Amino acid sequence: MRKVLSILLILVIAIGIFISGCTPAKPATTTPPATTGPKAPTGDPIKFGATVTLADITGKEASNAMLLAAKEINAAGGVLGRPLQIVVADDQGKGEVGASSLDKLATVDNVYAFIGGMASGVHMAQIPIMKKYAKITVTIGAAASVVIEAPFADADWYFHIHPWDYQQTGGYITGFKEMMVKFPQMALKKWFIGYEEGAFGSAGWKGFQTLWPQQGWDVNGASFKSALLGGGDYRAALRQAKDYGPDAYMWLGYAADALPMVEQAKEINFAPSMFIGAPPGWPTDFGKSPLAEGVSLFGMWAPSLNAVSPSAKHFWDAYIAEYKTEPTGYFAPLGYTNVYVLANAINKAGTLDQAAVISALKATSYDSPTGQVLTFKPSNAIKNQGFTSQKILQWQKGVQTVIWPFDVKTADPAYPFPAWDKR
Amino acid sequence: MPIVKLLRQTKYQVIAAAIVIAVLLLLWKPEILIEGIQRSSLYAVIALPMALILGVVGIINLAHGDFMMLGAYTAYFLAVKTGIDPMLAMIPAILAFFAIGAITYLALIRPVLGSPELNQLLLTFGLGLVLEELVNLLFTSQPYKLSVSYVSSSLTLGNFTFGTFEFVYVLAAVVVFIGLHYFLKKTRLGQSATAVGQNPRGARLVGIDVNRTYLIMFSLSIAIIATIGVLFSMRYSVFPLAGAPYTMKSFCLIAMAGIGNLIGILWYSALLGVSESVITAIPGAAGWADLVFFALIVAAILIRSYRQRVK
Repeated sequence: MRKVLSILLILVIAIGIFISGCTPAKPATTTPPATTGPKAPTGDPIKFGATVTLADITGKEASNAMLLAAKEINAAGGVLGRPLQIVVADDQGKGEVGASSLDKLATVDNVYAFIGGMASGVHMAQIPIMKKYAKITVTIGAAASVVIEAPFADADWYFHIHPWDYQQTGGYITGFKEMMVKFPQMALKKWFIGYEEGAFGSAGWKGFQTLWPQQGWDVNGASFKSALLGGGDYRAALRQAKDYGPDAYMWLGYAADALPMVEQAKEINFAPSMFIGAPPGWPTDFGKSPLAEGVSLFGMWAPSLNAVSPSAKHFWDAYIAEYKTEPTGYFAPLGYTNVYVLANAINKAGTLDQAAVISALKATSYDSPTGQVLTFKPSNAIKNQGFTSQKILQWQKGVQTVIWPFDVKTADPAYPFPAWDKR
Repeated sequence: MPIVKLLRQTKYQVIAAAIVIAVLLLLWKPEILIEGIQRSSLYAVIALPMALILGVVGIINLAHGDFMMLGAYTAYFLAVKTGIDPMLAMIPAILAFFAIGAITYLALIRPVLGSPELNQLLLTFGLGLVLEELVNLLFTSQPYKLSVSYVSSSLTLGNFTFGTFEFVYVLAAVVVFIGLHYFLKKTRLGQSATAVGQNPRGARLVGIDVNRTYLIMFSLSIAIIATIGVLFSMRYSVFPLAGAPYTMKSFCLIAMAGIGNLIGILWYSALLGVSESVITAIPGAAGWADLVFFALIVAAILIRSYRQRVK
C-alpha cells in the first residue's frame, strides 16, 4: 500500500508542477518612480483610493491599469510635485465589503479622492459612505441608472465616466440606425433577444421591449439560464429565435455563455443576418474560434483601436510592457483614464482645494485610450457624466474591430453574418 | 393477459408512463426529448459518483462539483498546452484524480469519519470553497472554453436538426452506471464496498479492510467526477464556480432516489432533465424550470415517505 501511495504522490507532484506551469504570469508590481528626466516627485504622497473586485478579471485589469497610470504620472513629475499613490481596496464584489472598504480608505488611508467602482450593486451600497465624506469621486463603473443616478443629482463632486444603461441603449439605436443608412443592405427590423434570467438580462430585456418598438422594430425574446448560474443550455431559446426568423439576434448574458452560445447556434443551424452578444466581458480565447467570425458586440474599447488612436496604442504598449500580458476588457483603459483625468485636474488646478479641482475636472478634455475624448456634461440626473455611448464592435479574423462610431471605426461591418458552413 | 398483470406493478407502470411521454414528445417536438435525454444523462453521470461516496463512505461530499471543475481545468490546460484532443485528457485525469482523491481522503476525510455528520458536511463544504478560491487565485474568474469543432456537430432528420455531441453524456452515463453496477455486484472489492456501506462494523468483523475500502471508493469517485469534468469542459465554459451548482443538483437527485439506489438516480435524472427541456421549450416559461425542478424533488420525497409509511 505504501508503495502505491508513493507512486500516487509522485504523480500528483508531477501534475502539480504541470499545472503551476500553466498559471498565467503574475502582473508586475509597481516600480519606484524614475529618477531621470522630469524632477522626481517628493513629499507626502497624494492618495487616490480605488475600490475594485480583484477576483474578477475586469477588476484586476482596472487595478493594473490604475497602477500603470500612477507609475507614468510619477515618472513625469507626479501630482503637484508629490508622488501619486493608488491605494487599492478589494470590494470582493459585495456591497457590504465595498462600503466598509470605502470607509477604511477615507479614515485609515486618508485618501484624497475615491476612484474605481464597478458593479452597480456594490456601488449602490457605497452611496451613503460617499455622501458622508463628500470627497471627489471619479467612478468608472455602475451603469444601473435606476438605483445609482438619482442619489447623486446634487453632488457636484461626483463624476461618472461609464455611460448609464439608458445611454448605452440609446447609443446602440443610434449606431444601428446610422449603419442602416450607410449600408442599405443592412435591414435590421426584426429582432430576437435571448436574455439570461437574472437581474442583468431581465432588466435589459425590459429596455428592449420599450425602446425597440419605438423605433418601429419588431422584437421578441426568450430567457435562458446563464452558465454563471449553473445553466449553459441555450438551445431552447435559440430554437424559439430560429422559429421567429429575426434579422438580428442579440443575447444578454455573461462571458461564460459566449462560446457555447455560438456553438449551440451552429448546432441547430441558426444564423441570422446579424448575431450580437452583449456580455460585460468576453473570454480571452473567443476570437480564436472560427465561430467568432462576424459576431458583433458592444464595448468601450478594442485592441484594434491601436491603428487609429495614438492614445490607445500608447496604453496597449505600456500595459504589455508592464504586465507581460494583454488587457482583455475595457475596464483596463477606463481604469487608466480614471487616474489620469483626476491627476491632470489636480495639476491643472495647481492645488488640492476641492472646489478648484472640481472646476478643473468639469473642464476635462482627455484623449483617452478608448479612442474618444472624455469630457463631462450633465446627464438626465447627475451634473458630471463622461462617456455617453458604447461602441459597436465586431469579431473579424480573430480581433475585435470597431464598426461604429464611424469616426473611430477600424473596419466596415461584415454583413450578413456568415453561414456556419462557410467558415 | 401477462401485460395487464405486469402493469399492476409500479415499476412497469413507470416504464409504461415513460414510453407514453416519450412518444408524445416525439410527435410534438422530437428535439425536446433528445435534448432532455442528453441533459438527464449529464445530471446522472455527475450524480452517480457522489452517490457512490455517500453509499459506501457515508459522507456527503459538498466539494463534488468542485472536483469536476478541477478536471475541466486540467483538460483545458492539457489541450491548450500540448495540443492533444481534450478527449485524450481523460486518461491522465483519471489517474491524477485517483491520486488526488486518495490524498484528500487520507488528509481530510479519514480524520473526520467518526465525527458528527455536521462536521463532515462543513469539512467538505470548506474544501469546496478552498478549491474554488485556489483556482480563482491561479487562473482568475475569467471563463475558459475549449474550441473543439465536433462539439457543435449536428444531424438533420427530416425537418429537425439536433446536436450529436451531447450523446457522449448519454454514453458516459451508461458506461459509469453499468461499470459501477458490475463492480459493486460482481467484483470482490465491489462486494466488500457494498458490505461496508451497509454495515461497516459487520464488514470489519468478517475481515474486510474497511479503511482501505473507503480509500479506494473515495478515490474512484473523485477520479470519475474529474473525468466527467473533462467532457464537461468541451461543451461548457470553465471557471471557478462552474461545478458548484452541480453539487446541489446531484445531492437533490440522490435525495430523490434514496441512498445506494443507482438505478433510481437514472430515472429521476430523466424525469428532471426531460421536464426542464419541456418547460424551457415553452415560450415565456423558461424561468419556471428551477421551480419545477425543486417541486418535483419535494413531490418525489413526499411520495416515497408516504409509501414507506403505508408499507
